[in-house]
Amino acid sequence: MSKTREMTAPLLEISHLSVMLKKRRDRLKAVDDLSFKVYPGEILGLVGESGAGKSMTGSAILGLIDPPLYISSGEIIFDGNRIDQNASSIRGSKISMIFQDPLVSLNPLRKIGDQLVEAIRTHINMSKAEAFDRAKTLLAEVGIDPRRINAYPHTFSGGMRQRVVIALALAPEPSLIIADEPTTALDVSVQAQILDLLKRLCRERGTSIILITHDMGVIAETTDRVAVLYAGRLAEIGETASVLNSPRHPYTKGLVAATPRIDADSYKKKLFQIPGAMPDLEQIPQGCAFHPRCDFANAQCKIQQPPLFEDRSACWLLKDGSEIS
Amino acid sequence: MSYVTAHQLTRHFDLSDPWIVRQITGCQKQILTAVDQVSFSIKKGETYALVGESGSGKSTIAQMVSGLLRPSMGSVHIDGHDFHDGGLDAMSLRRMRQRVQMVFQSPYASLNPRWKVGDIILEPIKSFHLLDDTQAQQKRVAELLDQVGLSARDVNKYPHEFSGGQRQRISIARALASQPEMIICDEPTSALDVSVQAQVLNLLKELQREFLLTYLFISHDLAVISTMANTIGVLKNGQLVEEEAASKLLTNPKHDYTKMLLSSAPDIGSIKI
Amino acid sequence: MRRFLQSDFFYDFSNTPVAVVSFVVFMVIILAAVFANFIAPNNPFDPASLNLMNGFTPPMQANEFTGEVFLMGTDDQGRDLFSTILYGLRISLFVGIMAVMLAMVMGVTLGLIAGYLGGWLDTLIMRFADIQMTFPSILVAMLIYGVAKGVLPPDLRYEMSIAVLIVSIGLSEWVPFARTVRGSTLVEREKEYITAAKMIGLSKRQIMLLHVLPNVLSPVLVIATITFALAIIAEATLSFLGVGVPTTKPSLGTLIRIGQDFLFSGEWWILLFPALTLLALALSINLFGDWLRDTLNPKLK
Repeated sequence: MSKTREMTAPLLEISHLSVMLKKRRDRLKAVDDLSFKVYPGEILGLVGESGAGKSMTGSAILGLIDPPLYISSGEIIFDGNRIDQNASSIRGSKISMIFQDPLVSLNPLRKIGDQLVEAIRTHINMSKAEAFDRAKTLLAEVGIDPRRINAYPHTFSGGMRQRVVIALALAPEPSLIIADEPTTALDVSVQAQILDLLKRLCRERGTSIILITHDMGVIAETTDRVAVLYAGRLAEIGETASVLNSPRHPYTKGLVAATPRIDADSYKKKLFQIPGAMPDLEQIPQGCAFHPRCDFANAQCKIQQPPLFEDRSACWLLKDGSEIS
Repeated sequence: MSYVTAHQLTRHFDLSDPWIVRQITGCQKQILTAVDQVSFSIKKGETYALVGESGSGKSTIAQMVSGLLRPSMGSVHIDGHDFHDGGLDAMSLRRMRQRVQMVFQSPYASLNPRWKVGDIILEPIKSFHLLDDTQAQQKRVAELLDQVGLSARDVNKYPHEFSGGQRQRISIARALASQPEMIICDEPTSALDVSVQAQVLNLLKELQREFLLTYLFISHDLAVISTMANTIGVLKNGQLVEEEAASKLLTNPKHDYTKMLLSSAPDIGSIKI
Repeated sequence: MRRFLQSDFFYDFSNTPVAVVSFVVFMVIILAAVFANFIAPNNPFDPASLNLMNGFTPPMQANEFTGEVFLMGTDDQGRDLFSTILYGLRISLFVGIMAVMLAMVMGVTLGLIAGYLGGWLDTLIMRFADIQMTFPSILVAMLIYGVAKGVLPPDLRYEMSIAVLIVSIGLSEWVPFARTVRGSTLVEREKEYITAAKMIGLSKRQIMLLHVLPNVLSPVLVIATITFALAIIAEATLSFLGVGVPTTKPSLGTLIRIGQDFLFSGEWWILLFPALTLLALALSINLFGDWLRDTLNPKLK
């Protein structure tokens, strides 16, 4: 799959994106020179700890960056066209968003059918009756009985609501869906169903999905490729299996090792732990942001910010093509 | 000999409207059975984990074992003493409380934001009259901070000056300050990031070995539980559907619900090469 | 002190002109009242220093009999208005501060009890608050004032009038404190640090005082500023209606009442200057209170 991907044009290309936070007297870099591509029909995971800038990247793509945040540099190219922060038309129809809390996207006072019909007719020229039929099809597709089209959001459970939100996101026939922690508020059994649904939609419709999460398990089970963010910077990007099985960045390595596994005798062992915690925006160290927590850090790491080597990992240890051990 | 024994623990909650409203609307009383005849026991120095989804009653059990909530039926025995025995005098109740402490889910809501860290950790020492000499108290607080991996210089800081993981360490130090024999961990890492979660879980393990602590560990995350528990109890709608040694339950689950939980849990080890 | 100057709070303050101006105006008025005996040219409460010949002197003009000049003119009895306002401010501010203190102590205590203990105590306190809120607070104050005057022995009435005023204004303003504190208490008591306090066997009283109280006080500060302005206005209103402080020791309200009698005969200054002072005082407190509320709790905006 990776070979064919290199030949197809990317659906979304983000290059050198920086988002700044204006905080009283200071200007802080919340997202720092981030570049990555999303190809048609793939699920890209954005993973990182809280404050790594993953949600902010999603917001930047959707044009939801509001003061005190602002985009200081970089460009976002979608489907061959550069989109600036005002191009709401592309964003509404071609890019959809799914949030952690389904109640953010649903109006509690309106029937889900009406909300779906409205979402369809805003973007697609269609009669009301046609739109209503399409709404039923969408509900069936996300696994909700179409007969419930006239129900109100509060009559659904949390997982069912998230399905309605996904149907709503699919209404304008988007080519990209950004899902920001879509299953964090749900129970594990429901989470598994929603992730399966996202995978199926991606496979059947060819919709690309950017899945933002902090959960390495979700990344492992859902995504094709993964981008690991640390302190607003890209640490590592690549095929999910490759990144998780043979991480090239010490942070990814630590993150993978620190994630608990379901294992018969893991209670006898200690987990691997990375010392310290991710720095606040105010205190991002010079050079590689990870160097104070890194066992392999050398003099260069402390001074200079590493570029992305081999389109894979931003770590000075890969400069000469060597491997970390 | 088990240290904690919960016998036929049951808890009902009355969700009915007030009497006058029921008379007008003609509604019946509504009783929710949050926990239904749950029995388990924990050996000294071991970890018993309760896993379940939201609404399974795991937090209600934690509250009953901690002595904060009276069971509707059933009993909790700690080291042979009945925690909810009405006949306990104030002194014995105090002694019981001191033996069982708790570490909470939220690193933000579990520490009083207006108190200095030193005072937060000192409070149980004063309340249980463990040390009365001011200098000895200061020394003890410094020792506790050191045990959870913080610095003795942190005593004069406020909770908001710490990260989530560090706050959880403060919370653990406060629990240790009572010199408990058992700690109830209610989702202690579910609000933490992965790298910090590993630190806190390891710390809990080290402390368990050092002080022979008994843990009741409550979580929805099977991966976390699998790194902590000797024995796992699976809760569904207030009932214990399966209970087994961790190594057996994770490899050879018997109950369908346990199988479903295991197959749904996102696991980083599941990645195919 | 240096930490305060570098804090976000101070930064926000120094970048909000309204806050700075209202704070400065308020401080000028406070300082003028505190140091009235140094600033004021005369002592208006000393009958010996009064000269009836000076009555009705317009501001900045020489009196036609004595040739004396007064910054803000004089009233009917020849009292220098500027001095009278400074001394009157003292009474207004004193009554305001004491009334707010009373309302605050009462409201916070009742709100804390209602919120933390709940049950019938909560119902009792809050229903009583609801009933009191259906009357305008000035009416409540007048009612309490009237009852107190009736109960007190006649020879004490005169000396106790300021105390009675404070009690009546204080009792009429406790409800907002109680409601806010109860609301915050309901939120705080569910938090885990309260559970932790229960785990180490603290009593309800200890938990309420040591843990809940410090965490419900910040909105109280905001309400206190706004209530302070209300209390000053309430005092002025009561005095204006003639049920407040005695005329021999005039507060701002008393001065406005006296001034009102002469408004249509052309002596406008007797009404204007006390009224402007009251306006500046109430407005500066309110504007500062608004800013404080927005800064301490951005959600209320």
